[in-house]
Amino acid sequence: MSNGVTGTTASAKAEAVGTQRIKNIKEKIKDPFFWSDWLVVIAFIAVVAFFGVLAPESFLTTYNLNNILVAASIPAIIAVGQTFTVATAGIDLSVSSTMTFGAVVFGLGFTNGWPIWQCAVFSTLAGVLVGFINGFIIAKRKINDFIVTLGMLSVAAGAALVLSDGKPRQIISGPLATLAIGEVAHVPYLMFIALAIVLVAHFVLFNTRFGTHVLATGGDPDAARAMGISIVKIKIAVYSISGALAGFAAMLTIARIGAAEPAANTSILLNSVAAVVLGGVSLFGGRGTILGPFIATLLLQSLTNGLTVIGVAAYYQYLSIGLVVILSAALVRTDK
Amino acid sequence: MKKNRFLAAGVSVAVTSALVFAGIAPSHAAPKKLKDIRIAAVVKGLDNPFFIGIKEGIEETALKYGVTANVQAAPGLNDDIGQANKLDSLAGQNYDCYIVIPISSNNLSQGIGKITKKGKAVINIDSPVDAASLKAAGGKITSFAGTDNKAAGKAGGASMLKLIGSGKKIGLIAGLAGNVTSNARIDGFKAGAAGSTFVGPVNADWDTTKALDAANAMLVANPDLAGFFAANDQMAQGIARAVAAAKKNIPVYGVDGIADALKEVKAGTITASISQYPYVMGQMGVEACIIAAQGGKVPAQTITPYYVIDKSNIDKALTNKSTRGYFPNQTPPGAYKNPYTKLIKKK
Repeated sequence: MSNGVTGTTASAKAEAVGTQRIKNIKEKIKDPFFWSDWLVVIAFIAVVAFFGVLAPESFLTTYNLNNILVAASIPAIIAVGQTFTVATAGIDLSVSSTMTFGAVVFGLGFTNGWPIWQCAVFSTLAGVLVGFINGFIIAKRKINDFIVTLGMLSVAAGAALVLSDGKPRQIISGPLATLAIGEVAHVPYLMFIALAIVLVAHFVLFNTRFGTHVLATGGDPDAARAMGISIVKIKIAVYSISGALAGFAAMLTIARIGAAEPAANTSILLNSVAAVVLGGVSLFGGRGTILGPFIATLLLQSLTNGLTVIGVAAYYQYLSIGLVVILSAALVRTDK
Repeated sequence: MKKNRFLAAGVSVAVTSALVFAGIAPSHAAPKKLKDIRIAAVVKGLDNPFFIGIKEGIEETALKYGVTANVQAAPGLNDDIGQANKLDSLAGQNYDCYIVIPISSNNLSQGIGKITKKGKAVINIDSPVDAASLKAAGGKITSFAGTDNKAAGKAGGASMLKLIGSGKKIGLIAGLAGNVTSNARIDGFKAGAAGSTFVGPVNADWDTTKALDAANAMLVANPDLAGFFAANDQMAQGIARAVAAAKKNIPVYGVDGIADALKEVKAGTITASISQYPYVMGQMGVEACIIAAQGGKVPAQTITPYYVIDKSNIDKALTNKSTRGYFPNQTPPGAYKNPYTKLIKKK
């Protein structure tokens, strides 16, 4: 081969590599999974930048950012549990009343003079119980997740009302108040708890056999079964995780509002589902991320906080938050 | 610097009345101008017309005085944490005063504590914040304005007694079992109509259909019933249907003054509704806030007005709209006590 030919080949090669790179980027942009992974981060940065520019003196203060972290802690924990159920192609619609049920159990223990840690253990166990029943019925009787947990939404809410006789129980406790308002380096204790749960969940989902089985169950249940994975056990496990986190979060709620309320707070359910979808977890199962829903929770809380801080009227807030959820969901559509 | 402050304080003392002087904190220089006063309000869910009434009262009163008001609501039904988040978001901003209506009696206490620590005033309207949880959070309520449900029930009882005379049998229909508001209204009514015999109260859970069934059963068991009292208007509407079906002509009383019930008062199917005035609660909240922001002494507690709306004043009630006029009966058809208005310095 002559030098001239080598020269042209080299430049052609370089050109080919160049076009390949551009093609790669183009393909990446076209790939919905790329977007579902990164859109939530981009959207989060955009929201913070938007309010930061609009109201730098009130939105970007340590006080206010601290507020956002406090507000995001409890929804983030619930979203982690929801991610596990959605990763198996299920959904837990009962989280909000499971949390209420846990709160009422906590309240009963507290009124009976139990120490805080014991109340917390029992409220978490109450959540596990609800989750176990959900998972058991879904897996054993092969009933749609949606129907079972929708039924449980009502059952757990009713159980909470029965147990508490419909009355809120005031819980005034020094340690709980510290938990709710304390902070280290402007990061609230509540956020440390949420972060710890997020990191553990991330490890479990991506670095353990159990996590792989969860994703396999959601991705292709028949193949998973053929590989010897017990769908029943996995389903029971993910709903128990969701229930446990809801029961545990009940304690944090009590710490924040100073009472065990028997009325279910359905916003927490909507928030968790929105965060999971925005975070890029496929509703069809098999594809999950823990960090995505976590960032999505921060995004949703920043949005609510920002709109409140800049004084957007309440009516428009409902509208804008709903629109952001639908828009982002449309952008991160990850159907198979 | 220090000297200036003393000078300013001296000037303000000279120009303000003795009454206002009593309320001036030493750190306040001159009272704030109306247009510089910023108020933040966190109300309950706006899916209930009652709270829309309060919101309008706040916004229109703010407009009237030229102060700024930012009204925020709980993001959803029963969203106690969401509401607490809203108050937390606003607590760090430069508002002079905060108006709050807690979803539960405890959920806003920590936020109020933060505001109190910043030395700002908090006005509580409609539903009271629990005193024990407030104390635990280090919060302080400057003024409370809300309805006295017992007194409202009592006014209804007295009115019915006048209509049917003493010693008659009256059927009572209550809301949810154990509900504080329902109990207060029923107890108040009994006190107002003392001398009558009472059947019930039967709990109809604030629900129209349940009240209809309950009233039917009561009418069958007690054909000599001379009147009915329900702890809210929706239940009174159910009773009115039962009474009409039994072809009786006995008075039916409800509480709240909702638009549908007022239409029935006009039509004559419901005899009277003891009305509350959410619009006025919002108005009083803003006025109390202005007084606090101006450094004045705010009355600690005010009972918001209630009125028995019957045939005699229904026409006035139906045309009594706010400037924006979404709902009838936003302000009482007669005079009512508002201790706040006269304490505001207008400039």
